[in-house]
Amino acid sequence: MDPGSRKTFDRSFTAVGYFSIALMAAALVVLLMPIFAKGSGAFVFRGTVENRRLMLEKFGRGDRAAIEAEKAAAAAARAPVYEAIARFEAALDTADAEDRRGYRSDFREVRELVAELLGPAPGRQTPVLIRDQYGQTRWDRASVVLHRILYVEDYDYSDATKMGVKVATPRVERFRGTALEPLFGVLERDARAMLRPRTTFYWRFLFDQSFDAHIFGGIWPELLGTFYLAVGAMLFAVPLGIVAAIYLAEYAGESAFVSMLRTCISSLAGVPSIVFGLFGLAFFINTLRVSPSKSVLAGSLTLALLILPTVIRASEEAIKSVPVAYKEAAMSLGASRWRSIVTVILPAALPGVLTSVIISMGRAAGETAPIIFTAAVSVGKPLAIWQTLSQPTPALPWNIYNLATEHEAVDEIRHVQYGMVLTLVVLVLLLNLAAIVLRARVSKKLRG
Amino acid sequence: MSRMKHTIAITLAAVVLVAGLFGAGPAAAQANRIIIDGSTTVGPIAKAFAEYYMQKNPGVNVTVSESGSGNGAKALVNGMCDIADMSRFMKDEEFKAAVAKGVFPVAHVVAVDGIAIIVHPSNPVTGLTVEQVRDIYTGKITSWKQLGGPDVKIVLISRDTNSGTYESFEELVMNKAKIVATAEYVGSNGAIRQRVQSTPAAIGYVGLGFADRTVKALKINNVAPDNATVSSGVYPVARPLYMFTNGYPKLGSHLHAFITLYLGPKGQEIVEEIGFVPVTKY
Repeated sequence: MDPGSRKTFDRSFTAVGYFSIALMAAALVVLLMPIFAKGSGAFVFRGTVENRRLMLEKFGRGDRAAIEAEKAAAAAARAPVYEAIARFEAALDTADAEDRRGYRSDFREVRELVAELLGPAPGRQTPVLIRDQYGQTRWDRASVVLHRILYVEDYDYSDATKMGVKVATPRVERFRGTALEPLFGVLERDARAMLRPRTTFYWRFLFDQSFDAHIFGGIWPELLGTFYLAVGAMLFAVPLGIVAAIYLAEYAGESAFVSMLRTCISSLAGVPSIVFGLFGLAFFINTLRVSPSKSVLAGSLTLALLILPTVIRASEEAIKSVPVAYKEAAMSLGASRWRSIVTVILPAALPGVLTSVIISMGRAAGETAPIIFTAAVSVGKPLAIWQTLSQPTPALPWNIYNLATEHEAVDEIRHVQYGMVLTLVVLVLLLNLAAIVLRARVSKKLRG
Repeated sequence: MSRMKHTIAITLAAVVLVAGLFGAGPAAAQANRIIIDGSTTVGPIAKAFAEYYMQKNPGVNVTVSESGSGNGAKALVNGMCDIADMSRFMKDEEFKAAVAKGVFPVAHVVAVDGIAIIVHPSNPVTGLTVEQVRDIYTGKITSWKQLGGPDVKIVLISRDTNSGTYESFEELVMNKAKIVATAEYVGSNGAIRQRVQSTPAAIGYVGLGFADRTVKALKINNVAPDNATVSSGVYPVARPLYMFTNGYPKLGSHLHAFITLYLGPKGQEIVEEIGFVPVTKY
């Protein structure tokens, strides 16, 4: 190869390298930006008076007197709405049968929407579901409901060759000239006074229990469940993994059996996580019966199996990379093999081992498939530590999936789902960061 | 070699010991917790009941998983849950497997549900007959044009075969005909709704409580699915929703109090608020 083309080749190789790094960075930004932007909506949002009422009644937070005053002010602003409804109802009672029938379903829809926006009408019996006991707690959601009250969304099917086109007509047209007409104007004008939105910083989202299947409240059961599962997996995987790594690096030698063992461990690392999940169900729960139902214990054991190969291989590499001179020096001073491993080699390998452990912990926290059948539930209380032996728990990765696909009120509680995603991503990022920092500090200390 | 045998023996002993330690635990039935697994259709009812029950009894932990009726039945048979939510009745083989394991399933009908056939709201079609729905899902009808809509190919969405809603749909609508291979199978009611919400040409089917305003529930044989038509049996694609327990729960236990919630006015209000049809009316 002549120097000219070699240079070109070199340059284009570098260019491809830069390009791929830039692509990766861009992908990361594209991925993380929406996660942070949307996820922060769970923590910082425009909370309405309904939100403050919820916080007071369910969590005992806030200044009771101030909230009562605010409720009274909101009620005063809402009075015209309920007045219009009452007047229309009274007029309907005296109207002829046909009119009444004609208005019935439209009027019911308006009343239901108003209840959705502002909560149950005064004087009504308290609904049994918590989601019906409060109006919209977030201004962004309230605006959506308000728009639905003011405009009827319909579809225009006149073009038979295409699917219908969405058209929004003001709902007030339907009630023009009736006692209900003022309601729409009042709502449009005074919605802010009725709900009193105010910027709310809800950091307790992380530590609050959830109400009514995640519709209100925070994600503490999920966060705690994730923590239990990840720590539990570590408790099982780390001692076993490190002992296995010591065996492989220091005792095993190079027989055919050992190389087969290594191949097995490597292939184990490549097994899809759902297979581990099914194995965990069949082995830990149905065969060994470690717990009577799904449980944190069974989930931790399954996750431990999943991360064990990574811990073993990374720890083995770390142990092997300790200079032989260390061991020789220890031995020459009369230390036994075991003693030289425990006092000299392991401490020197510690940064590598720790990194692998912490990164595996991040993996365990984020895995969904292994816990579907062994540990995770959609709804449950935060567990006390001894309950983890026998009870299942909600956990972030599973509940994100559950809220994204299965929940009956998906669209209303997107912010909770995004908040969970943000929490999980930050959790894993923090763990990885901790791994880097810890590694740097420990190796600095070891170098003296 | 004898050293290796030694090692293996010790390992085995350790495994047996650990297994013995945990294995002694009793079956799922325990005083202050209720574990519920199964149907994604019954899920919202179970979750709302759980919320209500835990408020009244703060010391009790009720957990709910939504993994499909088939998985619920399996979990009950294996003693892994106290209540199996199911949107269909138990099958022969499930009963046999249960009895063989000493589990005796008792059915509690907690609500009635219409299977709503849903399309995108922009779809001009407002009603179909049961036969037309069947023809769509067998692949005989492939375009909305054949049903009075625009010339757009129909996108078929179905539940997975683990689902009770799938089995009910097969029984009530398909009448043993096979669903065409182009259908797309998804894992939950919510997932079907999302696919239909975002796909103008799609058709799918969900439990009544999942048919909200973001999708359009079609009239079937000229009957719209609602509370009245489902409970009276006029709407043709309706079925009961079950919770199965192992035997009738011990009177006075939390499980008994929980499983009888649906009989009281509060329970029925919950069922109705979520969008399903209570079995009886107070």
